[in-house]
Amino acid sequence: MTALLSMEDLTGGYGDADILMDVSLHVDADEIVAIVGPNGAGKSTAMKSVFGLLSIRSGKMLFDGDDITRWAPNRIVQRGICYVPQVDNIFREMSIHENLEMGGFLRKGDLSAAYDRVYTLFPDLKERRRTPAGSLSGGQRQMVAMGRALMLDPKLLLLDEPTAGLSPKYMEQIFQICRDVRDTGVAILLVEQHAKQALAFADRGYVLAAGRNRHEGSGADLLADREVAEMFLGG
Amino acid sequence: MELFELLNFYVIPGIVLGSIYALGAVGITLIFAILRYAHLAHGDLATFGAFVALACVTGMGIPPLAALPIAILVTAAIAVGIDKVFYEHLRDRPKIVTVMASLGIALMLRSVVQVVWGVDTQTYSRGIVRPEDYFGLRIRDRELYTVAALIFLVGGLQLFLTRSKWGKAMRAMSDNPNLALLSGIDNRKVVMLTWVIAGGLCAASGFFLGYNTEIKSMMGWHMLLPMFAAAILGGVGRVEGAVLGGLIVGIAEELSVLVIPSEYKAAMAFAILLFMLLVRPTGLLKGKVL
Repeated sequence: MTALLSMEDLTGGYGDADILMDVSLHVDADEIVAIVGPNGAGKSTAMKSVFGLLSIRSGKMLFDGDDITRWAPNRIVQRGICYVPQVDNIFREMSIHENLEMGGFLRKGDLSAAYDRVYTLFPDLKERRRTPAGSLSGGQRQMVAMGRALMLDPKLLLLDEPTAGLSPKYMEQIFQICRDVRDTGVAILLVEQHAKQALAFADRGYVLAAGRNRHEGSGADLLADREVAEMFLGG
Repeated sequence: MELFELLNFYVIPGIVLGSIYALGAVGITLIFAILRYAHLAHGDLATFGAFVALACVTGMGIPPLAALPIAILVTAAIAVGIDKVFYEHLRDRPKIVTVMASLGIALMLRSVVQVVWGVDTQTYSRGIVRPEDYFGLRIRDRELYTVAALIFLVGGLQLFLTRSKWGKAMRAMSDNPNLALLSGIDNRKVVMLTWVIAGGLCAASGFFLGYNTEIKSMMGWHMLLPMFAAAILGGVGRVEGAVLGGLIVGIAEELSVLVIPSEYKAAMAFAILLFMLLVRPTGLLKGKVL
């Protein structure tokens, strides 16, 4: 089976300075893949490169049979990749329901099936659908942000540090929701600061350091790897 | 002074003037919410709208109120055109560049008005209209139309912003521009829509100022400060705040005549603006975008 997303020897950055050097990774359909690594390793940059937010110097990005290396973000959205930024990822002044509606902006026709799917995944949101998203707690905001991204029915969801600043309880809840989302047929690529927890829950992981691939493997293997543990996970 | 005198000579004219300011202030607040700059040509765009209506009245012989929709449409189109020709190129530059450019547009619009229609004071209809008596309140029909237009236009705008897909897209763009782009909302269409609405409301504002007083080439420029004071007073980015702010500034200007010489009436808006910026810079209804 060919991978849903594959990044092949990607080099690029913002402007002239390259941040990523020959980074390769792939995500299969129905898989959760975590990118971890120390600060400044290029984790978020790697994710943004998928979404066309980077100037790419060499390498290729293939998604579901298309070469999307130099596509503009709006075209990538329509092709089936949705991106949830780490911060400012909701419309604060708008209600939860309106946030979802904006997520489905590009979809023609009836959105009710898409709303049902999101509200089934996030029952908490359904009860509070008229509430302005800005008044929610951090964990609920993250749910709104993910729900907004799911409205376009993507094949791949990109999550930039979805658990940043959340309590352990919410972190576990977000991870559980990620599993539920995967089980509905959406692949997930996420960047995490909380490397241990992320590797424990992801199907596979990549360790990046200084903009290069360092390790890859199943979450459990990476956690068991002594070098990974010593270098990046704090022993 | 008895109550009815106060109401008839100060409060009612204040509400009418406030409604006129409010129509302009709503446009200013929308432009600030979506494009993030102060549009200094707003007053002269209102003047332009008033003169378009005048051209319809004198050229086609239609009543002033029938000329209003035409003026709204023409001014909306001109506003979109000005954005496309002048402001669009400056979008990625610092906002102050666009603010200065809008000052240039203000001078340009005023000159066009002066060249085409002259510098003399004009009116939509001749003769003196006597006010009707409503249980002691003396109100002219045109004053009723002004307030009704404010309610109708702003009510319609609120429905559009809260119920329609593109109205919500405008709010989304004002709320979080990056996320709106990530969601696939077309920035250019939202900007165009903003100018259609702001331009149309501007024309209504200029028209009703001319309808209630006179039409002059400097009328809009003199309205600019009160309109900005109204937008800031209500909280920038808040449509309902701009309406509230407009009414407060209008009524305050009319009431100020009771305590200060009427030559200083225009300074009221400035005083309110200064006071508000010192005491509560986010405005009465807590602005969204400052």
